[in-house]
Amino acid sequence: MGFLDNSGDIILDAVLTDTGRMRLAKADGSFQITAFALADDEIDYSLYDSTNASGSAYYDQNIKLTPILEAFTNNASFMKSKLMSLSRNDLLYLPVIKLNELANSNKRHAASNLFIITADQTTAETTALQNVQGILNGYDPTDDAKFIRLDQGIDNSAVPPSTQLPPALVESQYIVKINNDLGNLADSYGALASTSFIDDDGIASYYFSLTAGASKVVTRNTITSSGTSTQTIAGSRGTILSLKISTSLNLRDSDSLFTELGGTTTVEGETVNYIDTFISIEGLTTGYRVDIPVRFIKLP
Amino acid sequence: MARVYKQFTSNDVTSTRTLLHESVPITGTIISGTYSDNNIKNYSHGMFQSVYDYPYLSSSANHIFDLTLGVSTGYSGAVTITSQATKKVNIYNELAQVLVGFDETGSVRNFDRDGQLATGSTHTDLVYFNFSRLLSKDEIKKGTFALEFMASSGYAVPASSALRIKVYDSGAADVYKTNSPAGEYGILYITNSAGSPVSGTTIQAGGASAAAVGLIYYQAGIAVINPVIIMCDSTQNINGNQGILSSSLTMNVGGDLIPAMITGSTIQATADALRNRLYNVSFNNTTEINSTVYFCRVNHNEFNYSSNPTYLANSKIRVKQRRSDPPVAYPTAVGLYSPDRELLAVGKLSAPQRKDPAGEFTLRVRLDY
Repeated sequence: MGFLDNSGDIILDAVLTDTGRMRLAKADGSFQITAFALADDEIDYSLYDSTNASGSAYYDQNIKLTPILEAFTNNASFMKSKLMSLSRNDLLYLPVIKLNELANSNKRHAASNLFIITADQTTAETTALQNVQGILNGYDPTDDAKFIRLDQGIDNSAVPPSTQLPPALVESQYIVKINNDLGNLADSYGALASTSFIDDDGIASYYFSLTAGASKVVTRNTITSSGTSTQTIAGSRGTILSLKISTSLNLRDSDSLFTELGGTTTVEGETVNYIDTFISIEGLTTGYRVDIPVRFIKLP
Repeated sequence: MARVYKQFTSNDVTSTRTLLHESVPITGTIISGTYSDNNIKNYSHGMFQSVYDYPYLSSSANHIFDLTLGVSTGYSGAVTITSQATKKVNIYNELAQVLVGFDETGSVRNFDRDGQLATGSTHTDLVYFNFSRLLSKDEIKKGTFALEFMASSGYAVPASSALRIKVYDSGAADVYKTNSPAGEYGILYITNSAGSPVSGTTIQAGGASAAAVGLIYYQAGIAVINPVIIMCDSTQNINGNQGILSSSLTMNVGGDLIPAMITGSTIQATADALRNRLYNVSFNNTTEINSTVYFCRVNHNEFNYSSNPTYLANSKIRVKQRRSDPPVAYPTAVGLYSPDRELLAVGKLSAPQRKDPAGEFTLRVRLDY
């Protein structure tokens, strides 16, 4: 008679992240662990070989051999792709969050493939940099119709747009992170949003929710027709996230961060100082995450 | 509704306390000899000597312990101390007020030989081994402390190890004292460890009239030893503390015995002489680890899907061919989150763990403080 398998209980040691240590040091009660999540950052699911001739037991053998990294203590470096709990096991398609660049006002800058944000008034009002696709006015976001748009939904025509996305898969709340030293987030009309939290690395988190009424950041995508020129999600659609970026006072009033973090380049024939960064967008319902590349520019 | 975070309930979190012990052996040749005393740091104030495990000018050096000498005020009145008298008295009083405390009149108590403060004799001259926090950690484990000295009577460099005595906290695992303001302490006894420098068994550890030769303060990490008792014969008796060796030990090239060094030599010279006689130091340290254990219960219907970008190809799940196939995910990490969903701690699995609706598991995530 064999021994019973007792491997179901897995013991592992956790390390505090830098944010965890910071909150512990504050001793203000903000160090409070109330929930957990699982993540699979190292896993490449394209290694799943459902045609393996040896049988289904071998489909995931390459995934199981993936070497696992030790934990990083930077709170922003890990737990990027989280596992989800869904009551249904028969889902074949899941929604994604995807940049919608179909309209000129939502496109990235063609030459650099980035969203370019002008840092100060002089740069924003330079003729060569005005009314250019992908160059957004970061000095005065209200004075620019361009914004960043992300659509959420099932990007596969096998689930046509006319099919309602199951409520469990509709992304109703987003967390968006940006380096607070560089910029702040605004809604698609340019009104500054409130920061929810700034971590020890200066990364600001903003929470945007789908609320009843006219939310200017998260809105329900009600277009159910296919073949339209405005929709980047091929299948069933969920919500739309619309954002603008306002530059920080650090960038407007000083060149020091450009010297420290960036360099010099040419945009639309103008020589500018620049800093490359990204904003991180994560759906709190599905955990799906996408990073959008952003470049701040300023005339010397 | 899809969700990626699972709330802990009160049944999912518990705390534990673990005592971790490490063995700390210190070879005597490191303390005296191997590094030609380049690992010994003396100070211009001359009040103590620091011993390192490597030449102390190197960044690799670790502090092992400090060594010093103190005499009580009473000792000073009985015998004329000609070298560093004030400093020796100050050292004694400083350590006495911290380790023994004050009596009802507010006077500093002397170190008591048997730990019964109301009666019995006291140690009036002591050498102090102040162990670094790096080695002793939270405390020295009771019943594990031992100092071994070379006890051949003649002076030599290095000292002969043919005869040795061991000073240790015999029986302290079960019997120790709690009447010190600095925590628990044990009484140090002596035994022969090579040859018979101590004659007779009754005064050795475990004997009917075992001689108390010093004290070990476990939480403070300080050993105090009466050098007259352990390095002299019975002809030497200072304030009722009589030597117990068969022959007194010559401590320096000038032929001085310990009583002469206490009165006429500097603290540094006395510390040098003691280090030359030191054969071995060993103890187990103790680290108290307080842990919170989070039971991350992953039920059969939870965490079966992933938000990993590679999980989908055109929104279709790669690990499923048909709707009826079970979803599968391979977690590699568990994150612990605050109410505002900031990552506060993270633990990693050693290998990807298959998770599908047919299985469930509990991750015991331990966070140490």
